[in-house]
Amino acid sequence: MLNKITTPSGPAVLRAAGPERAERTAPRAISRRRRAFLDSTGQVAFVAPAFIMVTLFVLIPIGIAFYLSLTNWNGFSPNPGFVGTANYERILEDDAALRAGTFTAILAICGTLGCNVAGLGFALLLTRSTRFNSFMRALLFYPYVIGALMIGFIWSAILGANGVINSALESAGLDKIPFLSDPTLSALSVIAVTIWAAFGVNLVLYLAGLQTIDESMLEAAKIDGASTSQIFWQVKLPLLAPVVTVNIVLSAVALLKTYDLVLSLTSGGPAGRTETVAYQILAVSFSNGSLGYGAAQSVVLMVVVVAVTVAITSFRNRAERNVAA
Amino acid sequence: MTSARVERRSMIPSRTLRLTFIVLAGLFMAVPIYLLVVNAFKPQAEIISTPFGFDLATLSFDYMARALTSTRFNVVAAYGVTIALVIGVNIISLIVSVPAAYVIARSLKRRYRVLMLVLLAGLFIPGQALIIPGIYVLKSLGLMGTIQGFLLFETTLTIPVSIFLYVGYIQTIPRELDEAAKIDGAGQLRTLLKVIVPLMKPAIATAIVLHSIGVWSDFVHPQMILGPASGIYTVTTGVYAAIGQYTSDYTLVYPNLLLAVAPILVFFIFMQRRIVGGLTSGALKG
Repeated sequence: MLNKITTPSGPAVLRAAGPERAERTAPRAISRRRRAFLDSTGQVAFVAPAFIMVTLFVLIPIGIAFYLSLTNWNGFSPNPGFVGTANYERILEDDAALRAGTFTAILAICGTLGCNVAGLGFALLLTRSTRFNSFMRALLFYPYVIGALMIGFIWSAILGANGVINSALESAGLDKIPFLSDPTLSALSVIAVTIWAAFGVNLVLYLAGLQTIDESMLEAAKIDGASTSQIFWQVKLPLLAPVVTVNIVLSAVALLKTYDLVLSLTSGGPAGRTETVAYQILAVSFSNGSLGYGAAQSVVLMVVVVAVTVAITSFRNRAERNVAA
Repeated sequence: MTSARVERRSMIPSRTLRLTFIVLAGLFMAVPIYLLVVNAFKPQAEIISTPFGFDLATLSFDYMARALTSTRFNVVAAYGVTIALVIGVNIISLIVSVPAAYVIARSLKRRYRVLMLVLLAGLFIPGQALIIPGIYVLKSLGLMGTIQGFLLFETTLTIPVSIFLYVGYIQTIPRELDEAAKIDGAGQLRTLLKVIVPLMKPAIATAIVLHSIGVWSDFVHPQMILGPASGIYTVTTGVYAAIGQYTSDYTLVYPNLLLAVAPILVFFIFMQRRIVGGLTSGALKG
């Protein structure tokens, strides 16, 4: 196929860019440069679309978020009014926003812990690749593909006032449990369902990490008389340190963004007790038309997510280095 | 020393205990799907009286039929819309990400290192925080509430993962292949399309599978960008419209949820290995 192309006239992009330049350069120089890589016009043309899209929908929006957070934009007015730091001051006085921040923090911490303990625990139990283990891994992982919104709806049908569990309790003559209507229980329900839905990803990542551990190291530890728990704490866990870091960052970042699951499981209720920051931004500020205020909340969320990522990574880097030393 | 070791050994759960635990966990994971399947074919009273039960005598396809023909949310139309969006996003994502990844992977220039970091920034910025300013951008481009606007925004969200997977993969393809193609007189686009892309098939398949799941189950962006006003419903926004306010009418909830979840579960069963492999290569090779 390629042999049929005999014209040495160079790539179309280069020709379009300037024929005289191509003529001026000696043929040998061209071929040496080509061997090095594409010409620079081609490079720019290749990266431009991706760069433009990321600029338009990630970089510029980050800037605009800061700008809008200083305005009272309602989503329609062409010229948002400048209000200075009023939106940020409002967050500090807004009980709903502060409660959402607290709940999001609790959810992120408990969820990250739960997902990682469950993920690593099941990864250890299911390390060997038998047919049964593969089936169980798939069963523990599948909620990942069905999406948080559906998971919330499914569990609200199970935990709701007339849901599966309460119907079963009632027909057994027992009292109903207010999983989604008691303030504390509903928060616990959101955390539990989140872990149920998300630890499969951690499981898969820990499994991949465990499979990279050299068998001979475990053999050596066993021969030296190490117990299973010693092998875990002193051989496997240190070797898994980078995987642990990735898992903690992924869980924490994902959980700080929780929205869909809360929307479909509790709608933020009862009385806003399970509202998250993302829920406040999207379901409260957005639908009230206070997008300037929502933008301020978005900026706070963005800063927190980036700060948490950096903090965990640097903290874990130190831990990883200590282990290596 | 020896006695301590024996003591510790005895604390380790025996094989049977471990097996029982795993099977119980598996059941706990599977029960919601069982409930979806069973209760999609039962009347409300029976769902409430015997949620776990399954009585062939009262089995009814009426509720499923009602969900399939509902005017509030037409599931079949939503499948079509969602699949079209999944395909659209994947095509644009390929067109945009593959050439960019090729340059980043092959160039030794520092500016492309920096570019990669810029493109990956999206991984660390929460989408929920970008949506309000994103809407501002879409409005000023006149793309708010349109399919084009949604496709551009949603595709942008796929770029970081694509770039990450593709750059890593292209770096494993020997440079000599590009050079040989060039000596044979192939232009850069031809080299990319005829030499590199065919070799990238596994990475591309992985990216497509991950993006397809992401777009299929995405709720925030279709809800916010397309919105109920556009009349364009995906499976997630449609299910939300259908049952969001009626979560206690279980004859509505179960059939709709089953219809929404079934296609992606079937996809999962066939694509399991690729999904898991894609996730791990995406997350751990960094």
